[in-house]
Amino acid sequence: MGEVELSCLAYAKMYLHASQFPRSSVNGLLLSSSPAGAAVCITDCVPLLHSHLSLAPITQLALTQVDVWCSQTQQRIVGYYQANACVSDSSPTPCALKIAEKIFEQCNNAVLLMIDGEKMFPGCRVPPIVMYERKDARWALKDKHTIMLRQWEETCSIVNQLFSSGDQTLLVDFDSHLDDITKDWTNQKLNAKIMELISPANGNV
Amino acid sequence: MMKIKMRDKLRKWREENFRNSEQIVDVGEELINEHASKLGDDIWIIYEQVMIAALDCSRDDLAWSCLQELKRQFPDSHRVKRLAGMRLEALERYEDANKLYDSILQDDPTNTAARKRKISILRAQGKSSEAIRELNEYLEQFVGDQEAWHELSELYINEHDYAKAAFCLEELMMTNPHNHLYCEQYGEVKYTQGGLENLELARKYFAQALKLNNRNMRALFGLYMSASHVAASPKVSAKVKKDNVKYAAWAASQISRAYQVRRVREENVKCSAHGITKAVYTVAMVHNVNIIHL
Repeated sequence: MGEVELSCLAYAKMYLHASQFPRSSVNGLLLSSSPAGAAVCITDCVPLLHSHLSLAPITQLALTQVDVWCSQTQQRIVGYYQANACVSDSSPTPCALKIAEKIFEQCNNAVLLMIDGEKMFPGCRVPPIVMYERKDARWALKDKHTIMLRQWEETCSIVNQLFSSGDQTLLVDFDSHLDDITKDWTNQKLNAKIMELISPANGNV
Repeated sequence: MMKIKMRDKLRKWREENFRNSEQIVDVGEELINEHASKLGDDIWIIYEQVMIAALDCSRDDLAWSCLQELKRQFPDSHRVKRLAGMRLEALERYEDANKLYDSILQDDPTNTAARKRKISILRAQGKSSEAIRELNEYLEQFVGDQEAWHELSELYINEHDYAKAAFCLEELMMTNPHNHLYCEQYGEVKYTQGGLENLELARKYFAQALKLNNRNMRALFGLYMSASHVAASPKVSAKVKKDNVKYAAWAASQISRAYQVRRVREENVKCSAHGITKAVYTVAMVHNVNIIHL
């Protein structure tokens, strides 16, 4: 199947989201600003919920809002991520599969990304992610060699910098936005901070 | 920070049952290290509060020292034993923790704290069906335990058993009729169950939540969405359609107003308001009803 590239920005925000709510399951959408093609370039993500992931209304609302925002900013929804509350279980839940299906209806190389909580510790050499793709009417594990995280070392260091500067608290997910609508679920401020940290030499992220 | 201020902060967090563990550890550790001797009998409840927060932040060093102080002062206490059990849970030594809780229950079978910890262990181990079963048994005996009803509703929601989740929330709404969060959550569960009847119920409970707290955005969006769905259903009469289009339009205008009042100008808000307005006009057009845009 096609290659998937995960940008530093998307990875950092997913990681921050999971870290911000260590006792809950969290989820979000993966976005791409690149044109549709054989390879999927995940350039950004939108953190969605940290409570009641399997209840419909807020999920539907969030999907609509993100859809509208994407059409205004020339991005597409290309995938879904989730981190389970139970750290030892990183398998996709029925709710994850359902949402991923919905995304697959619009994007035929959609990815489902599960965050592996057990690998989220400082100094871990392996990205804490497990990716699934649609194959033969089911979601199957993606071959690790088709997943690319450019500048992995640099990405790790950027995430560490965000934690030490306290900037990880800037992350807003859709749930938090509903608690206080002055908070920006598109995370413009945090995006800017992360882009600053990404080295100018690496123009690709 | 002054000693009194720190102590008051801890008290506030304790009384409101906040789980801001990092802050509690920060303030609590300083208070204990610098001012322990000047806190009088307050020190013991502070040790307990800080210990639990320390476990939450993987600060076993701090948790251990708090526990030692408490063990020294209250050598045979069940309450302290339960804290020791919680520390074992934090270290994932679930068998040892269970043994401790079982010994408490042998001494005192009515000890609800120990029973609830055992259920928490089942939850931590991912044994949801067993946790649900034990929690149901617990609630048969302790039918007034709000915390337990809410925990059960969460477990059922995770298992997609929405009918049973709704039942738990009904219990909570009966005993807490002024709690807008329960009404709103009930609305979400009914909406998720789907079908015309459930959507109408959802709309009613979202409306009730708004009556209790008119700033509950989830209830407002929920009202908008459930009313829109009812209006769009082919099974309803013209009158019901018209009524629901009105409810949806009202909700939409409230949402727009809420965003404007908070003076939020960023992109996402523009798109929220735009998205809502677009959707409302679509619903209205389909049903030939005039919308007076407030």
